[in-house]
Amino acid sequence: MRPDGAEADRRREVRAAARGWRRASAIDDATLAAIRASYPDDRGRLGPAFRSLAFVLTALALNAAFFFVIAVADPRGDAVGILALAFGIVLCALTEVQIGLLKRAEGGIEAASAFVGIAYVIGAAGWLMNEAHMPERTLVLAVLALAAALLAAAAARWGMPLCAALAAGAFFLLLARSPAGRLFWIAAAAAAAPLLVIFGDSPRLPPVHRRSCQAALAVALLAFYAAFNLWSWDHAFVESLGPGRAPALKDSSLRPLAMAGTVLIPAAALAFGIRSRRRLFLDLGVVLAVASLVTLRFYVHVAPLWLILTAGGSAAILGSLAIRRFLDSGAGRERRGFTAEPLFEDLSRQGALETAAALASAPSARRVPAEDRSFTSGGGRFGGGGATGEY
Amino acid sequence: MSPEVAAAAERLGEQGLLSPAQRALFARVARGELVSVYRELRLALYAGILVAMAGVGLLVKENFARLGPLAVATALALAAAACLAWVQRRSPAFSWREAASPHLAFEYVLLLGVLLAGADLAYVEARFAPLGPAWPWHLLAMAIVAGVLAVRYDSRIVFSLALSTFAAWRGVSVVLLEKAFWSGSDPASSLRANAVGVGVAFLLLGAALVPLDRKAHFEPVAVHAGWILVLGALASGLGGRSPAGDLGLLLAGGGVAAFAFRRARFSLFVLGVLAAYVALSALFLRIDPGFTGGSLWFALTSLAVLGGLLGVHRRLRPA
Repeated sequence: MRPDGAEADRRREVRAAARGWRRASAIDDATLAAIRASYPDDRGRLGPAFRSLAFVLTALALNAAFFFVIAVADPRGDAVGILALAFGIVLCALTEVQIGLLKRAEGGIEAASAFVGIAYVIGAAGWLMNEAHMPERTLVLAVLALAAALLAAAAARWGMPLCAALAAGAFFLLLARSPAGRLFWIAAAAAAAPLLVIFGDSPRLPPVHRRSCQAALAVALLAFYAAFNLWSWDHAFVESLGPGRAPALKDSSLRPLAMAGTVLIPAAALAFGIRSRRRLFLDLGVVLAVASLVTLRFYVHVAPLWLILTAGGSAAILGSLAIRRFLDSGAGRERRGFTAEPLFEDLSRQGALETAAALASAPSARRVPAEDRSFTSGGGRFGGGGATGEY
Repeated sequence: MSPEVAAAAERLGEQGLLSPAQRALFARVARGELVSVYRELRLALYAGILVAMAGVGLLVKENFARLGPLAVATALALAAAACLAWVQRRSPAFSWREAASPHLAFEYVLLLGVLLAGADLAYVEARFAPLGPAWPWHLLAMAIVAGVLAVRYDSRIVFSLALSTFAAWRGVSVVLLEKAFWSGSDPASSLRANAVGVGVAFLLLGAALVPLDRKAHFEPVAVHAGWILVLGALASGLGGRSPAGDLGLLLAGGGVAAFAFRRARFSLFVLGVLAAYVALSALFLRIDPGFTGGSLWFALTSLAVLGGLLGVHRRLRPA
């Protein structure tokens, strides 16, 4: 990442925090203005709505332009791949110009040109290798390796955490294609996780690079869990991502390790998250715990599904209320550095999402067909209230 | 954790822009020494309610015959009443203005109560069929109940539930109850006309809330729901025999964009621009331009729209 881009990103972090302080009425408008003046932003940015629209329109324009050229030039064989490769490289160069010379950030356009450019380079490489009659196994390996390298480079150069997550995903898919894919997943995730935790906190890195490390860390932790999860073990999930027939692992003597991992990894993630106050581990720990409970339900039918769902939902509600009460009863409404108070976060987006979810799929009431007379709950196909009609 | 913000808090404190207490709190949060789990707790509550409701639905479905209708209906009613009683006990005095939520779980328990009441009503309707073929009326009843509760307890989530249930009532009624009334048009057109009508009604409701100062903060929910219904209904008729539908969507999309631009509603502005662009493209594709012409159209027009978008943004920025 260019030094000026890194500096702009650091300033953006402070300005975003100041907006949060103002939102919570912890500072006044004058203080916010003074902070903005102290940390000026020299980047061209767009808000989330404009940014999304700019991303969609740019991606549409770029793809349409390429298809127009293809339609006019009507290239054959290798020429298609070469044209796509050149197009992808030009788009990557344009991204560099936008982020560097034009000082654009969070504008949607540069993200679209980056993603479309990388996709064209990867696709073109695959096309050309296929035209060269490269064996399929080698071709897939080469494409995955190229994708991991390009996406990692994009994350490092342009500061795009999504690229980091995708690079990590491509890397683990690459490892899955080796004969000892599962072992490699465990080894790579175990080796990378501590480093990514350290880099994810490092003040030397700009905030966007720290977020990239955390995105890659999340993928690594998910891969680590997937390598141990009992369902994944019994169904040879990792092996099925590779070439050839997946081996039967169900009767392996190592199966108890998978059982232990299914139980212990979520617990360890949660414990580490609580101890170190790292939100990523806390959130992932909860997600993995739910995944482990679903896995348990797959093997052990302790109770009917309705009871599991009702009890699980009730447990989530009561657990949340208990945690909130526990934290609120501590000195200063906090315990061990955790609080149930909202602090300075922007909660409007979550509220809007909840409202939108209620608007889109409200399970309220549904009439049962007279001939059926069996009860079905659930949302309507359009609107709510259990509508069976369609708009 | 954010070292930049921690350093900035210290610096701003030294400059006198932040008080010692502000400086200490902001730096503590930035160093990750104080972490809020508020968002996670809300998410867990919302997810818990949805999962529990799925369980209740399954319980009733699987044990429909075994449990006995009275037991099921009574249990659901009691559960809904318990939720609503809890909400009533915690609720602040009624106000037409926005009220601060008295408890983290307040809105979610209210939502659970309304959903349980809806499930109970549906069960009673399915089991005893008190309304017979006129059963869609229970959707209207549910929409009214949800609307009243949303206003009383100041819940935007339940208000959106009321709106969607009302829209569902119209949709189901057109198909099941009002066949004779809509016999002049095909079912798809009837549904489309109803959706547009309901959308306009929501827009009028939203427009009335602010000047009347009656739950004015519900206005965005009504306006978004209204425009989504109108645009969705018009978009469902794209590519029909007549270009009138495409033109309608073009005009409506342009209208939404203009409306949203004046009120700085960027999400609606995006929706309007996209709708208008889709309609314009649908109109162009009617002349069958072929692959080459179509590609050129999308390449040039999307760039033109993008240019317009950046121009609009530049105009908005100084404000």
